[in-house]
Amino acid sequence: MLQEILALILIFFFLGRIGWQVWHEQIPRGQFIFWLIFWLLAGIAIIFIKDIDALVARLGFSGSGIQILLYLSVALIFYFILRLRLKIERLERDLTIVVRAAAMLAARKRQ
Amino acid sequence: MHMKIACVIPAWNEAPAFDKSHLPGVVEALTSCIDLIIIVDDGSTDETYETALRLSADVLRHPVNRGQGAALATGTEYALEQGAEIIIHFDADGQFRVQDIERVIKPLREKQADMVFGSRFLDDTTTMPKFKRTVIMPLARFVNKIFFGITLTDPQSGFRAFNRLAAEMVKWKQDQMGHCSEILIEAHRHPLRIQEVPITVVYHHFGQRLSGGFKIIRDFILAKLNS
Repeated sequence: MLQEILALILIFFFLGRIGWQVWHEQIPRGQFIFWLIFWLLAGIAIIFIKDIDALVARLGFSGSGIQILLYLSVALIFYFILRLRLKIERLERDLTIVVRAAAMLAARKRQ
Repeated sequence: MHMKIACVIPAWNEAPAFDKSHLPGVVEALTSCIDLIIIVDDGSTDETYETALRLSADVLRHPVNRGQGAALATGTEYALEQGAEIIIHFDADGQFRVQDIERVIKPLREKQADMVFGSRFLDDTTTMPKFKRTVIMPLARFVNKIFFGITLTDPQSGFRAFNRLAAEMVKWKQDQMGHCSEILIEAHRHPLRIQEVPITVVYHHFGQRLSGGFKIIRDFILAKLNS
């Protein structure tokens, strides 16, 4: 019970943080909605952890609900890392296009 | 009929090489057989750009470092803009021999090929570490053959020449060292006549390590996922 309360306090803290950030226009609204849904889902998962335990057991998993949530979180983190890498890759490509255009322009000017 | 020949030389922090007279020597030797020498300074943080400006070459400058593949692409685009009919990719640090240029461009001049790759494996004049020669290169050749149907002997050739048609067709997106493989793959994807000729590479240091190979594979996967 204590663990669940601590986890919920932490989630409230993060919710407060993203609320403060969107209020001060430090993050765009889309990102705010994403994190809001993310932390609300985390909160719901903690409140209904016993139901998740039962569901997980019914599905035939040997681990507890929290363990399955942990595995899912790790998988999600890997997915987000990949998304970030792809975005960086696209930015790198765009940067090269800009750098090339600048180099060509400077060379043309020199002529 | 005379064909305008351009040679693209990417250079990044080549000032130590200048001290040893690599690039000035290369440029001086090239002037006898090349109409347009293009040095692409790839965001060097030393005196490379200033020194290159003193040489008889057109010098382009990337404001920030983008990698050898990007520098070669910039130089090739510039060469096409300048009306080059044959474009050669060369090295700044004197690893390639100027006397091999004639051999590389001969099939293009005689219109027997659209693209020519220099190969370190068609004769025994290039020395490289045994592990690279007997393990890494055969592995790369195997991958090229199985996945891309490429049967060339040198899977990582950096000494290559295009005619205008090939230079306009073959485009590569790999900014770093993956461009060697990508150019090979792209060349084979188009209906181009490709030839390979023997060249000698005089190594001052032995290029990429095995980790470099993994980095190339990673870059390819990311590019594929992004396309």
